[in-house]
Amino acid sequence: MSGKTSGGFLERTIQGAVSLLQETVSVENVAARNGFLQHRDPRFKCLSAAALLIAVLMSRNLAELSVLYAAVLCMALLSAIGLFFFLKRTLLFVPVFSLFIVVPAIFSGVTPGEPLASFKVLLWNLTITRQGVDSAIVFFMRVLDSVSFAVLLVLTTRQHVLLKTLRVFRVPQLFVMTMGMTYRYIFLFLDIIQKMLIAIKSRVGFVASTRDGRKIVTANMAGLWLRSYRLHSQVYDAMVARGFSGEAFVLDEFHARVPDVVILLAALMALIGTLWLNLFFR
Amino acid sequence: MHIPDGYLGPITCGVAYAAMVPAWIIASRRVKKTLAARQVPLLAIGAAFSFVIMMFNVPIPGGTTGHAVGAVLVAILLGPWAACIAVSVALVIQALLFGDGGITALGANCFNMAFVLPVTGYFVYRLISGNSPVKSFRRVVAAGIAGYAGLVIASVCAGLEFGIQPLLHHTASGQALYCPYGIKVAVVSMVGGHLLFGFVELAVTSLVVKFLQVQDPTLLGHNREAAS
Repeated sequence: MSGKTSGGFLERTIQGAVSLLQETVSVENVAARNGFLQHRDPRFKCLSAAALLIAVLMSRNLAELSVLYAAVLCMALLSAIGLFFFLKRTLLFVPVFSLFIVVPAIFSGVTPGEPLASFKVLLWNLTITRQGVDSAIVFFMRVLDSVSFAVLLVLTTRQHVLLKTLRVFRVPQLFVMTMGMTYRYIFLFLDIIQKMLIAIKSRVGFVASTRDGRKIVTANMAGLWLRSYRLHSQVYDAMVARGFSGEAFVLDEFHARVPDVVILLAALMALIGTLWLNLFFR
Repeated sequence: MHIPDGYLGPITCGVAYAAMVPAWIIASRRVKKTLAARQVPLLAIGAAFSFVIMMFNVPIPGGTTGHAVGAVLVAILLGPWAACIAVSVALVIQALLFGDGGITALGANCFNMAFVLPVTGYFVYRLISGNSPVKSFRRVVAAGIAGYAGLVIASVCAGLEFGIQPLLHHTASGQALYCPYGIKVAVVSMVGGHLLFGFVELAVTSLVVKFLQVQDPTLLGHNREAAS
């Protein structure tokens, strides 16, 4: 193999597949715990999460976003989710990435306003503005709140229940059925990828040129498509053999209790309060 | 390209969802018309394929790796409308079941990656490949250019969505409430990055098509009706 070496791409892909599998197992474990949100009716929980996400989206100041963040942390603790685990799951990546992205916006070049501090870097005079800092903090908190509410919903609801809830909300059957099957296929594909790449690694070793590496990866992608394409008619035969006639049926029934209604009312009040504050008192 | 929650304001999120509803309806109708019941699992396979394709680390010069989106590849394999559904499903699963990607920004993500990317990419693929034979080299070139062009056009859309936020949502003192960068900065940075790293998409789309031409060329020819 010639050219510049670029080792590690096989390991990174295998590691990515393993991480996703491990994460799914850990999420399923959390969703199976005996916590407050785990026992809630998923229909009410999804509606509450949607109301709170819209409230976060409509919030315009740090105080509102901080109250919503305190609420999400309290709900996580009530749902038997460790604070460290939740913070690690929500703070890393998107909010931290957003923090880096928003740093240039604190300077007067992007957000003009009242100067807070000025300094010189090489040939440039930089000025941090109050409006810039406020804007960056609100942006960061909004991203953090949104990620936290979305992750809390995922952590406290089992995946198959979440899919079933979509059907209750009249999401077209083609989409829900495809989602359910896709979810299962993803794990099948991850298993195939892992096996294929480990087989390659054991034959060609760790080092490949960039060009050869690309060939290996794309041949694997094409191989994955070939294998899965050949599978689809067998899957359909298996579905028909189990009684599939074009309509997917939901077996479990959902039962609403008083706390489900209370949590939805609280979420709706938070949304109405946010809308009222931001539309009439800005 | 993947927009998280909190970057786009309510107007953009609402408009993007509203724009995707007719796209999903048209896609569902087209797919129901062209895909036989036997091929329903194929949609799920396409969605899972577009999900896992992003997990493949592709070596790029300089010793680092990148990843492809694969939406144009799915469009070439299944047709643009089936790709619209497949990529939308992959994005919904990513957001709802894995907690990655935005829920309020889902409409915008689907518009960029499940509609603009596969539809424009497929159009470019058809334009360049014309009526050339399935096993021709022209189709390999067409697939690569289509993957690259689709990605860059979708990044323009994402850049515009980011860039209009300071115009749409700001306080009386001019403080931006969502993405703080204007159109010039947002579009230049989004498109610049994708122009630079878009060749991963080019390489993946063209090489997979080339591989399938050798292994099973029928897979590249079955969706012609779905496309038109």
